[in-house]
Amino acid sequence: MQKKSILFFICSLIFSKSMLFGQTIQFEKFTLPNGLKVILHEDHSAPVVAVTALYHVGSKNEDTARTGFAHFFEHLLFEGSENIKRGEFDKYVTNAGGVLNANTTQDRTFYYELLPSNQVDLGLWLESERMMHAKIEQVGVNTQREVVKEEKRMRMDNRPYGSFLTEMLKRAYKVHPYRWAPIGSMEHLNAAKLEEFITFYKTYYVPNNCVLSIAGDFDKADLKKKIESYFAPIPKGAPIVKPNIIEPPLGAEVRATIEDNVQLEGVFQAYRAPKQGGDEYYAFNVLSNILSGGESSRMNKTLVDNKQLAAAVQSVPFFNEDNGLFIALAIANMGVKADVLETNMDSVISELKSGLVGEREFQKVKNQITTELVKSKATMAGIAENLANFEVYFGDANLVNTELEKYNKVTREDVLKVAKKYLNKDNRVVIYYVPKAKSK
Amino acid sequence: MKKLLYTLFILMPFFTMAQTVDRTKAPAPGKAPLIQVGNPVKYTLANGLQVFVVKNKKQPRVAATLALDLDGFIEGDKAGVAGMSGQLLKRGTTTKSKAVLDENIEFLGGSLETSSQTAFVSALKNNFAQSFALMAEVVLHPALSNDELEKVKKQTLSAIASSKDNADAIANNVLKKLVYGASHPYGEITTEKTVNNVSLQDVKNFYNTYWKPNIAYLVFVGDIEPIEAKNLADKYFGKWAKGNVANVNFPKPVNPAQTYIAIVDRPASVQSVVNVATTVNLEQGGSNVIASNVMNNILGGGFSGRLFNNLREKHGFTYGAYSKLNPDRQVGFFSAESSVRNEKTDSAIQEILHEINVIREEKVGDAELSRMKNYLTGGFARSLENPATIANFALNVARYKMPADYYQKYLANLAAVDAQKVQDAAKALLNPAKMHIVIVGNSKQIAAGLEKYGPIKYFDFEGNEVAAPKAAKVDLTPEVLLEKVVKAAGGKEAITAIKDIQLKGTASVMGQNLEMKQTLVLPGNALTVMSMGGMAVTRQAVIDGKYTVSQQGMETPITDEIKEGLDESALLIPELSYIANGYKLKVGGVEKVEGKDAIDLEVTSPSGKVTHRFYDAISFLLVKTAKSQEVPGRGTVTQQQFFKAYQQVNGVQLPSQTLIDMGQLKINVNYNEIKANQGLKTTDLK
Repeated sequence: MQKKSILFFICSLIFSKSMLFGQTIQFEKFTLPNGLKVILHEDHSAPVVAVTALYHVGSKNEDTARTGFAHFFEHLLFEGSENIKRGEFDKYVTNAGGVLNANTTQDRTFYYELLPSNQVDLGLWLESERMMHAKIEQVGVNTQREVVKEEKRMRMDNRPYGSFLTEMLKRAYKVHPYRWAPIGSMEHLNAAKLEEFITFYKTYYVPNNCVLSIAGDFDKADLKKKIESYFAPIPKGAPIVKPNIIEPPLGAEVRATIEDNVQLEGVFQAYRAPKQGGDEYYAFNVLSNILSGGESSRMNKTLVDNKQLAAAVQSVPFFNEDNGLFIALAIANMGVKADVLETNMDSVISELKSGLVGEREFQKVKNQITTELVKSKATMAGIAENLANFEVYFGDANLVNTELEKYNKVTREDVLKVAKKYLNKDNRVVIYYVPKAKSK
Repeated sequence: MKKLLYTLFILMPFFTMAQTVDRTKAPAPGKAPLIQVGNPVKYTLANGLQVFVVKNKKQPRVAATLALDLDGFIEGDKAGVAGMSGQLLKRGTTTKSKAVLDENIEFLGGSLETSSQTAFVSALKNNFAQSFALMAEVVLHPALSNDELEKVKKQTLSAIASSKDNADAIANNVLKKLVYGASHPYGEITTEKTVNNVSLQDVKNFYNTYWKPNIAYLVFVGDIEPIEAKNLADKYFGKWAKGNVANVNFPKPVNPAQTYIAIVDRPASVQSVVNVATTVNLEQGGSNVIASNVMNNILGGGFSGRLFNNLREKHGFTYGAYSKLNPDRQVGFFSAESSVRNEKTDSAIQEILHEINVIREEKVGDAELSRMKNYLTGGFARSLENPATIANFALNVARYKMPADYYQKYLANLAAVDAQKVQDAAKALLNPAKMHIVIVGNSKQIAAGLEKYGPIKYFDFEGNEVAAPKAAKVDLTPEVLLEKVVKAAGGKEAITAIKDIQLKGTASVMGQNLEMKQTLVLPGNALTVMSMGGMAVTRQAVIDGKYTVSQQGMETPITDEIKEGLDESALLIPELSYIANGYKLKVGGVEKVEGKDAIDLEVTSPSGKVTHRFYDAISFLLVKTAKSQEVPGRGTVTQQQFFKAYQQVNGVQLPSQTLIDMGQLKINVNYNEIKANQGLKTTDLK
């Protein structure tokens, strides 16, 4: 028995080495003459395909008097096209046994269809129709405007702490369009004329602003021909003007207290952080895991478990193409005041600035990240989205295979360095959430 | 040969360019992919633990789940003990503190979760064996310490406190308590009180009673050889001692005798969370599950469901509207739900009930049915991307004693579902007359008008019934109120001076217009006729003491109840004669009728029939009546009647518009001609 388990142990070591290389995601990338970037990953392990289109337009591209446009389009572009009748877009997908959806961030809008593999042509048709000649009409605008208002009511107004991102962003940025959240302003959407929607569509929904990323069970040679047939006739658009706004340093701590329909007080901190992709970005992600990645992370162990001050804690690296935020939040336990909670959060965070993280703790976080990166590639949808994100943000889809190396390069000294550089009071916004009645 | 290749080479780009697609219609699907549902390798250990292994080398990961085959536990005044015990399992073992345990599993990059009846571990392949050992330690040697229990309690209490503000959490709690009942394990709510009742001994009792290998399944999924998995199971769980666990069948919850409205008042709400719910008789793997599932998806599955298309796409009431149907061998569950803006609460309920009625009463069209079957077929295919799906299939077959080839035959059985089976499923499962309609919202803004769906009850966030948030009490005796009402109507003198009256107009019902004629020869004679194109649709009369009611020429047998109703119809202002005729009267509170305060007078007839009559609090004109009656097969139905557009006729105030509201059915009556004292006789009543 003893012998056997030793043998098993040796085997597993060998496996682990091959494992890192066995994960390689093969893909092919090319660009059509109209500027559309295409990424294909062929995998026959299940009869499924993910057809995705990532448009490089988010709320940061919006006019300051028309916030919410990018997200609004995420709704509007399901209304139909010249060849797809109003309300039929999703029916085609359902009819084919697939699902579809979309989401919007400050930097990009992402659409996807997950289909049985014999329906991959349908995905091409739908996405090319959406890009070529979507229907932008008053009736669709009116319907989706009501839907978006309900989405805002549900996600923000009717949910405890639901307004925190909006409240945080408007304090964390002074000039950059990151100062508003993708949901935007309902007044702006009400005021917008139909022509403005049409202009937005013609500006941003063009092949040269899109990555078409497809992963799954298809024949690549065949699919390439079909992609050309569906997408090549779509005319190239004017080059996209990227907002180039430099946000000055915060200068001093910004503090606010929000009264909300909550029972438990909450502390939301946001530190200004670097843009995504650089060495500091990877170090920051490691740091975030040290603080809140799992039960043994520092915030969980200290605030939730040992001191029992918090019901929940979370740190979120809210990184973007331009300067991002590092958000640390905690919801207090019953009877715990926000200021007490904040003092304790601060001491956990400032510990990161006072010395190197222990070696075993550091290795633990690296191991957690390794697992997470593998998990993110478990589905065709995940692979397609990863490829598109890496291509759009960093011009390097192959990061899907090499990102782990970036993390492996991060040293304990790097973590200390970003902690010291960024986790400072004059670089942060702090918002308390308190129950409505109690604040009086 | 060379030449041929050369020619092809030249032609190729040309060929590619020439390939055009027909954009005007959706491309045809390719050949259907072959869908194979594998079977896991199975072992049973000596202590009864059943081990399933699904090998899948797509990713270098392995996961294992240990699941107890139990449907629930009656926790009573210790509700929450099972859940908290589940959390306690991974909060330390006899040899490792919680902090050490957490660190050990996370150092392996793994995750370990426990609940009241499951334990789950996953890790990359090379760290799996060590991670699995930790899972086994947690299951077999938990510390179950008092300190950790206190922490779990504190967190549970905080979670309860915070859920008091969450409309969705409130809706879930109240819904399950009302649907399953407080004494069913599915309906128990964990409250501050029940949490504080839980002792460490309760936790130990729970663990010692239920965590036994002979009612457990251990399922491995991922990059692992079956024999390797079996060895791990043997090594770590082989010595786990078996024990007797009684198999409990819980009493089936009963659906309400009639549909009612349950409101949880949340004044801060800008949206109402609406659930229309019922228990259903539907077991996992039952013969009607697949058709029922098709039915539910047509009604409210995702973006293509009828609810979504009606409430969101057509009306813009909401961000989403869905229905769910859970088969369960104890008791199944159905709910249609949506979060809608306050002012659309009534309309949303109306549309949800409408869609439920339509799917019961009308056969689904071929296109819609085949679309939904395709959707479910595709969903089935897509679900196979996750290797855990095969494991879940095998687990279901074992737990619910389903046919061994249930999932292999699933697609063929799905293909065989037709419109009749869908309609049968809707009729068997969904009875709109016996639903719970649970609303979390701002009652002041939403409650008006909801009586038409059934009686309104109010509940707190824990599902306890509470009094309606009523407005100020009325300080009037029935006699004084009647005096004011009679005076407002024109006074006794003017009313009694009217000897005959005739009202002519139109009644519109579901888009159809009917002629409406009502004639009174006072005292005591009345004739009401609704007709279409000169043909009487309904005719009711009391003439010289003779009572008749007919519908489309068919006479209805006359009961005492009908006589009483007809006598009432022969009164111009019944308030004038209530006391003399022996009616019992009681003044209720003030309620909003179409946004205005109205005083509620409860009127009980000599035969015991109760009607509520609402008078405007300022003008004292009648604005609404409400009464409930039994309708065979539909339970109690509430009928409301609204009175508007008062006109003065010979000094008496009479409404020229009435709306009769019976929930689904609405009748609008407009009188365009009202004539009094034309000298009519009873012989004119034809």
